[in-house]
Amino acid sequence: MDLQKLITKPKKSAKPQQAGDGLEVVGRSFSRVDGWEKIKGAAKYTDDLEFGPALLYAALVESPHAHARIKAIDTSSAEKVHGVVKVVTGRNFTQKFGLYMNDRYVFATDIVRFVGEQVAAVVATDPKIALRAAALVKVQYEELPAVMDAVKALEKDSPLVHPNLKDYTHVPWFFPKPGTNIAHWRKIRKGDLAKGFKDADLVLEDTYTVPRYAHCAIEPHSAIGLYDASGRLTMWTSSQSPFTQRHVFAETLKAFGLGHKDVRVISTYIGGGFGGKAGVTMEIIAAALAIAVPGRPVKLLWNRAQEFYNTYQRLGVTAKIKMGVTKAGKITALDFKLHWDAGAYVEYGANVVNAAGLSASGPYRVDNISVDSMCTYTNLPPCGAYRGFGYSEFLFGLESHITRMAVQLGLDPVEFRKKNAISEGDTLPYGAHMNPNGIRQAIEKVEKEIAWGVRQKSKDPTKAIGKALVCFWKSPAMPPNASSSAFLKFNEDGSINILVSGMEIGQGLLTVMAQIAGEVLALPVSKIRVETPDTDRNPYEWQTVGSHVTWGCGNAVKRAALEARERIFDLVQRVHCLDKSTLYLQDECVKCRTKPDFALPFRDFVINGIQAEDHTFKGGPIMGSGVFMPEFASAIGDPETGQGGHPNVHYTTGSAGIVLEVDRESGKMKILKVALAVDCGKAINPDLVKGQIVGGLMQGFATVLYEDMRYDGKGRLLNPNFSDYKIPTAMDMPGEVVPIIIEVPQPDGPFGARGVGEHTMIPCAPLIANAVADALGVRVKSMPVTKEKVALAVKAAAR
Amino acid sequence: MPITTEFEYVKPRDMDEALHVFSLYREKARALAGGTDLVVHLKENLARPEVVVDIKALQELAGFTLKGGILRLGALVTFSDLIDSPVIKAKFPLLWEASLTVASTGVRNRATVAGNICSAVPSADSAPVLAVYDAEVLARSIRGERRVPIADWFTGPKKTALQPDEIVTAVEMRLPAKKHAGCYMKLSRYEGEDLAQGGIAVLAFSDNTYRVAACALGPKPARCPRTEALLAGNKLGEKLLARARETILQEVSPISDIRSSKEYRLHMTQVMLGRALEKAVARLFGKGPKYGTENIA
Repeated sequence: MDLQKLITKPKKSAKPQQAGDGLEVVGRSFSRVDGWEKIKGAAKYTDDLEFGPALLYAALVESPHAHARIKAIDTSSAEKVHGVVKVVTGRNFTQKFGLYMNDRYVFATDIVRFVGEQVAAVVATDPKIALRAAALVKVQYEELPAVMDAVKALEKDSPLVHPNLKDYTHVPWFFPKPGTNIAHWRKIRKGDLAKGFKDADLVLEDTYTVPRYAHCAIEPHSAIGLYDASGRLTMWTSSQSPFTQRHVFAETLKAFGLGHKDVRVISTYIGGGFGGKAGVTMEIIAAALAIAVPGRPVKLLWNRAQEFYNTYQRLGVTAKIKMGVTKAGKITALDFKLHWDAGAYVEYGANVVNAAGLSASGPYRVDNISVDSMCTYTNLPPCGAYRGFGYSEFLFGLESHITRMAVQLGLDPVEFRKKNAISEGDTLPYGAHMNPNGIRQAIEKVEKEIAWGVRQKSKDPTKAIGKALVCFWKSPAMPPNASSSAFLKFNEDGSINILVSGMEIGQGLLTVMAQIAGEVLALPVSKIRVETPDTDRNPYEWQTVGSHVTWGCGNAVKRAALEARERIFDLVQRVHCLDKSTLYLQDECVKCRTKPDFALPFRDFVINGIQAEDHTFKGGPIMGSGVFMPEFASAIGDPETGQGGHPNVHYTTGSAGIVLEVDRESGKMKILKVALAVDCGKAINPDLVKGQIVGGLMQGFATVLYEDMRYDGKGRLLNPNFSDYKIPTAMDMPGEVVPIIIEVPQPDGPFGARGVGEHTMIPCAPLIANAVADALGVRVKSMPVTKEKVALAVKAAAR
Repeated sequence: MPITTEFEYVKPRDMDEALHVFSLYREKARALAGGTDLVVHLKENLARPEVVVDIKALQELAGFTLKGGILRLGALVTFSDLIDSPVIKAKFPLLWEASLTVASTGVRNRATVAGNICSAVPSADSAPVLAVYDAEVLARSIRGERRVPIADWFTGPKKTALQPDEIVTAVEMRLPAKKHAGCYMKLSRYEGEDLAQGGIAVLAFSDNTYRVAACALGPKPARCPRTEALLAGNKLGEKLLARARETILQEVSPISDIRSSKEYRLHMTQVMLGRALEKAVARLFGKGPKYGTENIA
């Protein structure tokens, strides 16, 4: 098994306990609290849930056209099939929905806008019957001209995907251009661009392209809906966002008398999300179908092909970069134009465009900058959240460009990056200031790890070895009022249950929340239970996206634990007459600094109180609640310059380096070594951070080396399968992966922590492109950088 | 994903019964052995047989034997059977090497060699190897049994010489008498399971003769006689290799598809031919990489 080849070297900085920080639970690599449950198969995923013989199954009728008018739908033959309970079309549900832009339909009503869009659904007693009947639904279409390219969509005579754009509601920080295909245009203007280019000794302009990508979570989307006789809608979903889903269900289906209290979303463990299970996609169909067949649960389970073409895809982008640099290696100007292909509906994807536009400088100080990040409608499947949220896409071009400019000026690309790297207090492209960060330490550690500057030679004469080092940053992209909250309650034996609605999506959230509470309450992780949410029981969480839950939800849990601790101290002070300020928690007991022999175990009082001298009892069940909202954030700035506001709460920064062996003839690439250093502020659980680093790198390398969504001229996805959409196997692991943890505390993070989930995949594409250039002198400017492209580029260069 | 198409399923107990079903249903019957193609095609509605004939109970199709220098692979022999066999590894290392590149372990546990050549996709990994061993396919119907040389077996993409009332019972090949060594080079997009974007199998003999065959570089897997003729009687050297790399371009006709461009396939045909020849000759002299390593181009 090639997994053996994976050597993860423990780094000094990653050691569980740093001397002197006084932490007992935080900073140590406890095993995951959900580990045994998953290993033993006890963990339930949505498709595992049992609903008994009343369960109905749904199958969809999907559009074969990229853009067409629905002339007529004949459901009569399907309705006659024995076992069919109901056939539902857009006539039954005309509502629109959307997270940031209200542009998506439950079912296509008059117009279909991408191949695979849901036009109707059959609900039947058996999945085979549903599929057979769906094939009998006859839909008459009148084909319309379609647009498949984000740049062509801007041309004057381009077909309009949403002619009624002016009537759509959206968040106040979006700037759609009705009468065009521009759904949102994020502009950044800072400094004096013309002067910046004048001051430059070298100006380089080029275009980089990135195709669409799919998340490829192991578990496909699934949702079960039940609209019961009491008028409540319960949804079991495989989701990163139970509360956001509840809100979208309630808002979209309010015409049926549903309020938020009537909608309940239960989210089980999920088999991977990567952004694909954020917001609402296919789940709205299951909710609508449940309404259509009251009293019986309806299940909608995506097959692998649907997983590819009808959830969210990662946006494609054409990135035009013009950059000015002085001989000394200072970036003087950056003009960055990003044309995003966001697909037929951009209700979530437009915010990717926004986030990328705000941060397109990368982790560098650029005083004169202009960014045009344009969200364009096309007749391809809808795009939305994907791990990295636009940053991987713009960094491919930006980090490729930076290395090219440094090399052209005869400067060391690593020194160049050190010189321009952002510092605490620097002004960000939108005018706010940069948070404390360890980007320079990250560069230095990675530089050392890959022995930058030392040229390596392959033993095989047909192969060359190249190196590269790049930097990355990312901020959570979230509404300024995105909140987290937590409940915490003690049990008789001194154990606790924590209720949050942050989702365990494989990243280890449950374990991290347990460690945060355990640190405050002096409890071992083994005495803490945290489970996946049910919106009736668990308190609010906006979504598990943007690498923000360790920070946001962690802050809420910490506050809940502090509140519980405060109640404990209040009680002990009241009953034992010990001053609160002298009390502390240790080893599941309340202790007192001034009275060394005092130790009151939690189990003696956290439910039944403390018996006073008069035999009465004081106290009662100890609980805590915590809420966190980033009250300093604001999304409102000047639409023409992007200045004003404080849209991003903080950035996580880092650096990655690679040693890559490339076959000159076949183009085949082998990653001999990769090192990634990320400043996570504080690694609550270092092993989980390392897991994110290894996993993120693999996902990132997959997008640059193998993955590529291919469409034909009619907008049909040609590879909605793993035969031709390749994701890496254990055989494709790098030779050596070195995860490096940097800890420059985030002042407002729990124990100094900030997010780390997405960042680890962001640097991969330019790492490969730059290392190939270093090894063989050829530059690939379009992703993926496949062995075919490399081999043909080498061949062309030799001519 | 459920199979929505309807069909009859039969599992004959003996050969006569099986052959009668095929003589009755002909094109409307499909044999089920490994099922790694058929079941996928049923799910995707690409295959709509009236009857699926499960041949797994037919004892005479099971197992393989090496007797009198003839290797007989029963139609039920899977790629994992070959990989797990020390005899195959010792006597037919090229077959062993190519088997390792077929799909993934899970698929190889079920997929049969006979099924691979009956599917007859241009990318069949076993085909170039069977071609260089001059294998014969044994096909039987109620009319009797016949032997089809592998050179005549593939008649086009996904097309074979098998008649509608026939099933394949075995594939046979002779262990070459002369000292020899081989190499199978496969062009894949990564190290994991992949359909060949090109494949070259080479057998090199101690008398400086060579056999070369290709898959996924034309409409059907085939030997490369002009390249073989050029090489015959010569020791491998830089000049000869360069001429061989030019000659083979006259014998392949790859297409551009989602997996690879024609340009890259042509380029890699030359790269893989050179590497396969060099490795096969090195192995002939007890050098070169171990079988089953360094063969993904």
